Amino acid sequence: MTPPSTQPSTQPSTPPSKPSRLGRARGPRVLAPLVSGQEIVLLAVIGGLWLVLGLATPAFLTAGSLRPLLIEVAPIALIGVGMTLVIVAAGIDVSVGSQMMVCGVITARLLVEAHVALPLAVLVSVLVGAALGAVNGVLIAWGRVHAIIITFGTLNLFQFVGRQIFGSQTVNGIPATLDVFGRGEAGQVAGLPYSFLLTALIAGAVWWYLRQTPGGRHFYAIGGDALAAELAGIRVRRRVLLTYVVTGALVGLSAVFTIAKGTTTLDQSIGAGQELAVIAAVIIGGTSIMGGRGSVLGTVLGALLVQTVSSGVTQLGWPSNLSDLFVGVFVIIAVGTDLLRQRARRAVR
Amino acid sequence: MADGSGGAQRLAMTGIAKRYGAVRAIRHADIEVAAGSVHALVGENGAGKSTLIKILSGAVTADSGAIAFDGEPVQITGTTDAIGLGIATVYQEPALFAELSVSENIFLGRELRNGPTIDWAAQHAKVVELLDLLGVPVRDATAPVGSLSIAEQQQVSIAKALAGEAKLLILDEPSAILTDSEIDVLFGVIRRLKEAGVAIIYISHRLDELFRIADEVTVMRDGATVGTFPMAGLSVREIAELMVGGILNEERPARTVPDAPPRLELRSLGLAGRFHDVDLAVRPGEIVGLYGLVGSGVAEIAHTVYGIEPATSGEIRVGGTAVRPTSPRHAQRLGIALLPADRKRQGMFAFQPISFNISIGHLGLLSRFAVWVDRARERRVATELIERLAVRTPSERQPIGALSGGNSQKVVLARQLVRRPDVLVLAEPTQGVDVGAKEEIHRIIDGLAAEGTAVLVVTSDLPEALRIADRLLVVRGGTTIAEFGRDASQVDVLAAAAGAGDEAVSA
Amino acid sequence: MTSTAAATKNDPSPEAPENGAAEPGSLRRALRAVLTRRELLLVILLVVVLVWMTALGYGGYLTGPYDPDYLAGALVDAVPLAMLALAELLVIVSGRGGIDLSIGSIVSLTGMVFGIAYGTWGWPLPLAILLAVLVGGLLGAVNGVLVAWLGFPALITTLATYYAYRSLALVINAQKPISTPDIQALYSLTGAVEIPVIGRDIPNVPLGVFTFLVPTVVVVWLLLARTTYGRRLFAIGTNDVAATWSGVPVARTRLLAYVAAGVLAGVVAVYVTGQFASARPDAGTSGNGLALPAITIAVLGGVAITGGIGRVSGVLLAAVLITWLDAGILLLFEGNDGSQFQLLALGAVLVFCALLNAYTIRRYGGTR
Repeated sequence: MTPPSTQPSTQPSTPPSKPSRLGRARGPRVLAPLVSGQEIVLLAVIGGLWLVLGLATPAFLTAGSLRPLLIEVAPIALIGVGMTLVIVAAGIDVSVGSQMMVCGVITARLLVEAHVALPLAVLVSVLVGAALGAVNGVLIAWGRVHAIIITFGTLNLFQFVGRQIFGSQTVNGIPATLDVFGRGEAGQVAGLPYSFLLTALIAGAVWWYLRQTPGGRHFYAIGGDALAAELAGIRVRRRVLLTYVVTGALVGLSAVFTIAKGTTTLDQSIGAGQELAVIAAVIIGGTSIMGGRGSVLGTVLGALLVQTVSSGVTQLGWPSNLSDLFVGVFVIIAVGTDLLRQRARRAVR
Repeated sequence: MADGSGGAQRLAMTGIAKRYGAVRAIRHADIEVAAGSVHALVGENGAGKSTLIKILSGAVTADSGAIAFDGEPVQITGTTDAIGLGIATVYQEPALFAELSVSENIFLGRELRNGPTIDWAAQHAKVVELLDLLGVPVRDATAPVGSLSIAEQQQVSIAKALAGEAKLLILDEPSAILTDSEIDVLFGVIRRLKEAGVAIIYISHRLDELFRIADEVTVMRDGATVGTFPMAGLSVREIAELMVGGILNEERPARTVPDAPPRLELRSLGLAGRFHDVDLAVRPGEIVGLYGLVGSGVAEIAHTVYGIEPATSGEIRVGGTAVRPTSPRHAQRLGIALLPADRKRQGMFAFQPISFNISIGHLGLLSRFAVWVDRARERRVATELIERLAVRTPSERQPIGALSGGNSQKVVLARQLVRRPDVLVLAEPTQGVDVGAKEEIHRIIDGLAAEGTAVLVVTSDLPEALRIADRLLVVRGGTTIAEFGRDASQVDVLAAAAGAGDEAVSA
Repeated sequence: MTSTAAATKNDPSPEAPENGAAEPGSLRRALRAVLTRRELLLVILLVVVLVWMTALGYGGYLTGPYDPDYLAGALVDAVPLAMLALAELLVIVSGRGGIDLSIGSIVSLTGMVFGIAYGTWGWPLPLAILLAVLVGGLLGAVNGVLVAWLGFPALITTLATYYAYRSLALVINAQKPISTPDIQALYSLTGAVEIPVIGRDIPNVPLGVFTFLVPTVVVVWLLLARTTYGRRLFAIGTNDVAATWSGVPVARTRLLAYVAAGVLAGVVAVYVTGQFASARPDAGTSGNGLALPAITIAVLGGVAITGGIGRVSGVLLAAVLITWLDAGILLLFEGNDGSQFQLLALGAVLVFCALLNAYTIRRYGGTR
């Protein structure tokens, strides 16, 4: 049906641009703003914290202190990118810590015992992670059970597998080739660690994908109303599977980063508790736990905030475990903000 | 008056029939809709309208009959078939993704691309084009749809249908949730669609509106189409007569209501945005009916009396004392009980036994020190009520989910009767209930009134309203507009509810 | 939060019995019974485990005897697990996505508080226990207020409080456990004792079973089966909306469930302190934490994750099953392997049970 285009569209018919939103200003605003309100707040909070910490302990704002911070952030932010996809599509994955253990031990043993070249080892790690993610994805998408329960179960299963591969020891003698992702001089360019740069790159790519491609937008639809999305022709199960597979693959890469930032010995504690840090980063970053809303940029900022708090606590000489308390409070605040936003939305009849 | 210029025949359905088990939802339906026309479809609840629409949209398939689209015979076996033909349906509740933008909602699943990415500019241009076509100002195309008003969301739904190259647009009670000015905008949109050659099926109970927008009307009654008539030359009353047919009111034993001060009074009761200036009084032993169409505000009145949404103006009096129920708990303490309209969602505890379903809400009464459940007493009360209401069940321990619609409705009703309420409000008391149980429930209601309870029945089932109510108040546009006595006819009431006298208003 | 197709609880099976057709054969009836009566399935599994382990013992595969003495001794671990599983039962039954991930950290934190009160400050034991219970209830109330009053999603909220409470437990005594002589003496609370009168012919059962587990089981069972609160809890878990319309105080009922969970965690903290003769800051949070096995046992015991369904008997049987299975695994594998295979067992059980529960709800309308 072709509409009789008798008269052309009249004036641009956009409301005067609201001052609170950033965005490209070229005629009618066709793209959603680049940065949302929550992300601006996060940026401000992080900036503020850095300022305060820099004043309190001058050592904080030095490269020697900021670079390790970025190295610590990288794996969390990277997995967080995948977790953002998962949570936006109204799922969750608490097994990523155990996934990291499996990928980590396999990579380490390949490097140490099989003397495999670094790129190949990294590839294997990513593939193993993707396979683990696929296990989650299949069970959740086709098993019709809540993701939290399934991933609780796989948390245990993967941990079992990881421990089996470890044997009862640690893996020693991790080669220095890994330093390209780690602490050493080899691991940075222009003062920024490779691992962080790579993370930023991947995050940027996924951010673009979520914003600009139909496939990316479909994740939001699934999180909003999976049934309606199915009716609209979206292959919901496959997309959900994809979120878990991507997360697993990113875990594989993060495992490499994590090994690199450690010592030459890898022990079984790798990955322990990572899932909480990742989920916290995603939620603090503004992604709604109910699904349908969220951004990768927010997640990266969330990871930065969590790590800043952690570093800050250490720098200030406070007990290191106190940072968890702050993270817990931040998560509550983030969830509360999201709830308020939803309620305000519904009040507009 | 809308101009009845139809174009070529867009849709023809002949001899359609559909049954669900023993129930014949449609006995025989014929309908023809011309392109570029607005074709109204009216009928009482249960007349078969929604089944007919489901057949058209592909949600169900007809048992027999033929469908022709643009002159070609077609089969509609599923929703994809319907969409492929260009049949789009817009329901009352907009089926949109609240967090996605207008542009994304309209193009979900068929995005305009520029290589691998979405061509936002092209989509936006198309959105502007569509909304212009509908005569609607373009809002910020990137704002999440959830932040738009209901009327705007409805417009987006219609635009979405258009984007899918709809040739036949079905609007199901679109005006029920809109304000008057929003309805004007909607009608403007519909007229533009007409000009563009779209065929529109417009379902509504608001007969007065039809005169503003529809060219023809098809009336359904008891599962069959009664006929199709041009709107010109009809009146609301005539349409109502067609909808109701020649059903005589059943004989009822005369009831005398003892003269006494009213037990329940509503004085100028209002809830901002929903209803206003509602006056009614119910004496002990009296059954007062409240009848109104969807969106008239009648359901909300019942909710306010029960404390679900406290009133914003006016007052409620129980036994002469002004009260302000703020929650169902509070209302119960005031002696007000309510049987909810949506049994499954608001009334039943599905996997629990009948006794659980009856005693919940009265646990303080059926326990010792309000803590320890007195199971013997609970069992006694449940058994008594099961007998009294003739619930067909081997024992009070049976899970309520195993009962039929009528029996489970009786159980939910039993819950309201554990404590003899001063005021009993019944919302749609026999919805989804078979004929036999319906009779029984009506007799129970009679019995309750005879015992002295003040009964308020809120229903959209017109025969039911006339059968049991001593007085029947009609609600329209959020306020009570007419009162009828025992001798009222269905047509009178329906006409009043649907806007008799307002046919003269034209576009 | 939804999964791609959540097994909706408020969408019950059609009102009229639909499995009409011909009278199902006895095999199908047996299958249906096993699937819908969770206790039956658990008893069968328990027997299977016992028989299988005993057979392995005869075959020489076990490193120790899998005999009644050993099993009775293993019950020491069943006590805290069963009690925490009951706590999860209360919270999950309350519906609307109810779950408590913070329960392990509540154990850690209240354990430390108990240790400080009893060990460091020298409070009398009953008072210290009361304090632990009160603190536990308070921590649970934080969860309850957020979830029941303010409407926060339970999952992420209890995840956040898990973080917060865990950190407090570690910070409160600079990560050091408290094991003063008083506390060490508490070990006797949990040791094995001979049951009077009939004790000679049956194995010694840990005292904790009688002093902690049995009273808890009785209280929770009474609460759920006989009190008005229990009815209300099942009502809000079955149908939130109908509960409101029936006049049930939904928010308050749900909040109390979280408080009760916290109280139970407080009691477990006292037990665990006695069991290890020290108040440890990671008592409930070491490894994967205690919340995970507690939830697993609850799900195994027939608790529906969507709310409104769950029985104390099922949870208790599930706890014993897991405990004796774990005990057997420890004998089956040497050294560290044992604990690893326990992980496998737990994970596999959880996934399998969740799938089973979902299927049973869809097909039969739930377990009983």
